[in-house]
Amino acid sequence: MNGPTVVWYLCVAAFLFFTGALGVLIRRSPLIVLLSLELMLNGSNLALIAFARFHGRGDGQIFALTVMAVAASEVVVGLGLIVAMARRNLDLDVDKLRTLRG
Amino acid sequence: MIVAAWICLFAPLGAALAITLAGQRLGRRGAGFLATTGVGVSFVAAVVSFVGLLGDSPDDRSHPSTLWRWLTAGPYHFDLRILVDPLSIMMMLIVAGVGCLIVGYSIGYMDGDDEERRYFAYMALFVFSMLLLVQGGNLLMLLAGWGLVGLSSYLLIGFWHERPSAIAAAKKAFVMNAIGDATMALALFLVIQRTGSLDFEKVFSQAGSFGPWAANLIALGLLGGAVAKSAQLPLQTWLPDAMEGPTPVSALIHAATMVTAGVYLIVRTSPLFEAAPHVQELAAGLGAATILLAGLIALVQTDIKRVIAYSTMSQIGYMFLAAGLGAYANAMFHLMTHAFFKALLFMAAGIVIHALTGEQDLRKMGGLRPLMPLTFWAFLIGSLALAGMPPFSGFFSKDSILAAALANGGWYGYLLWAAGMVGTFLTGLYAFRMLFMAFWGEPSAFVREHLHHLEGGLVGWTLAVPVGVLAVLAAVGGFLQFAGIWTPVSNWLDPVAPSLVDASGMQEAVSSIVAVLLGLAGIGVAWWIYGARRASAPRPLVLLERKFWFDEVYDALFYRPAVLLSQGLLNGVERPLVFGSVGELAGSVRDLGLGARRLQTGLVRTYALAIAASLAVVTVVFVVVR
Repeated sequence: MNGPTVVWYLCVAAFLFFTGALGVLIRRSPLIVLLSLELMLNGSNLALIAFARFHGRGDGQIFALTVMAVAASEVVVGLGLIVAMARRNLDLDVDKLRTLRG
Repeated sequence: MIVAAWICLFAPLGAALAITLAGQRLGRRGAGFLATTGVGVSFVAAVVSFVGLLGDSPDDRSHPSTLWRWLTAGPYHFDLRILVDPLSIMMMLIVAGVGCLIVGYSIGYMDGDDEERRYFAYMALFVFSMLLLVQGGNLLMLLAGWGLVGLSSYLLIGFWHERPSAIAAAKKAFVMNAIGDATMALALFLVIQRTGSLDFEKVFSQAGSFGPWAANLIALGLLGGAVAKSAQLPLQTWLPDAMEGPTPVSALIHAATMVTAGVYLIVRTSPLFEAAPHVQELAAGLGAATILLAGLIALVQTDIKRVIAYSTMSQIGYMFLAAGLGAYANAMFHLMTHAFFKALLFMAAGIVIHALTGEQDLRKMGGLRPLMPLTFWAFLIGSLALAGMPPFSGFFSKDSILAAALANGGWYGYLLWAAGMVGTFLTGLYAFRMLFMAFWGEPSAFVREHLHHLEGGLVGWTLAVPVGVLAVLAAVGGFLQFAGIWTPVSNWLDPVAPSLVDASGMQEAVSSIVAVLLGLAGIGVAWWIYGARRASAPRPLVLLERKFWFDEVYDALFYRPAVLLSQGLLNGVERPLVFGSVGELAGSVRDLGLGARRLQTGLVRTYALAIAASLAVVTVVFVVVR
């Protein structure tokens, strides 16, 4: 079997995941937070697929597909919320969105 | 005959229910007529039962009848059962007969009151309760009636519920009676424990085998109930206050029927009392003490109804004296004549009060004789009967009781006889003090200003007819029994409660002569002071005006310690422990919530950090522990 071993894939996946996590933790714009979330999800997707290949089985890939579907729906909701907030001229800042009142 | 007895019992209940359910659809007078009809039906049914019983041979006049099994508890069961025998028939006739007259009188007396329907429903309920009490075929039915008459008495004393004094009097009567109910219930528990039954014949047949302790306790418990219901020492304080109720209520409940229930109880359960002779003697002693105490207090009362109330206590004292000596027929005979003349006095007083727009103070009355001649004659007949003057009814019944005391003999019998004799002097004095104060002399300023003549028509007739009938009964009712010669009452009651004492003709004669002379002396003194006004009235003793301080002593002995105890418990236990613990619990939960609220900042990034940090910790733990 050619190409890099599973460890390299995992390193890339960990890098993506932590980059995403760092973004979620330190960025204030909800848009960037959503983007970072996608990064995290994709990092874990990569790990799932890498392990699936490593073990030669398909269930990890199916998991990854499910995660993508979940991610897509989550983005729909999240972007919808952001658009609604922008329409109401609210500050797009997660630190200021701390009450349940809109 | 049994059917008639059941009709007698349930007719007043039917009237009470009909008045209650009909509500506004029934006119005000309609309620009065319905109640009178119900009680009248009851009286007719009682007469029918009486006639039926007359047809039986004297030894076969006890007819129990069971409707259905009422209660079952383990091996014990109690039936809804009435007993028709000479004693209960006599009480049924008195209760339904006098009751019918007084309920009819109420139509006129309560005319125009705001809540006549409620009044008549209560009255009919009372008659039902009283009939249940006297017809009950076992001690449990008797106790049920006992409690129900207490309830209806409470409702009727407090009938004018906008008066605080009436409410207080109703509560006082109820609480005092509850003491008696409790002792009676305890006695009944002991009876059940000893005999396993409450049916009269089963209990009485085993009365001798209770052992001294149980016999004494049972008799004491029953005596407690009788004393409370009949307002005898030491539970007498509620009766004068009960005069807050409407006058017909005082006449029916607090003179003629309910308060005499204690006498009925002693006569009915005489085998239980005979098993405890000392308790029976105690009953006689309490009666004698009440005769003197109530007679003395009646001398200084200024409220016309209270004077009659104290005379009621005093007269019931005579009945207790007789029942305590075992002269049951004499007690029942006096109960009957007393129902006549005392109801008469109350209703005549009611007419006076009505004519004076509700005034009850004797000192404001005076000179009513020419203004209300018929009422005066009715009052005079009642007073003469009360004072025991021949040939009015009280003479025959009271003197036979005194003769029984003399016949009983021993130092105790002579003491009771002497107390009863002093009582007759007091009776003559207070009865005619009342009569002279109200009817003699010149009409007072108050009378001239306020007297209004009763309207004729229906109201006048409903007031006049019952008073007239009772006046006749009070005048001639005594001839039903003439000691030594003509004794149908004693013969009638003999199968139920055979008398223990038998006075000789000599004792009868001595008692009668002395009693009449003393009564005349009392009347003479009353005439001297209040009629002819030859001497000024002595200043009333504070001791008597304060009614021997019974209220104050009870207040200090029972009420105040109870208040102190409950205040102490409130401040020492309830506030710190109960209120405190609940308050602390609520407070700590709230503090917990306040603390938890601080965690929820709404900052998404804080949550994310918390999740990330927790995950890191979990990971490290997994890695290290594995």
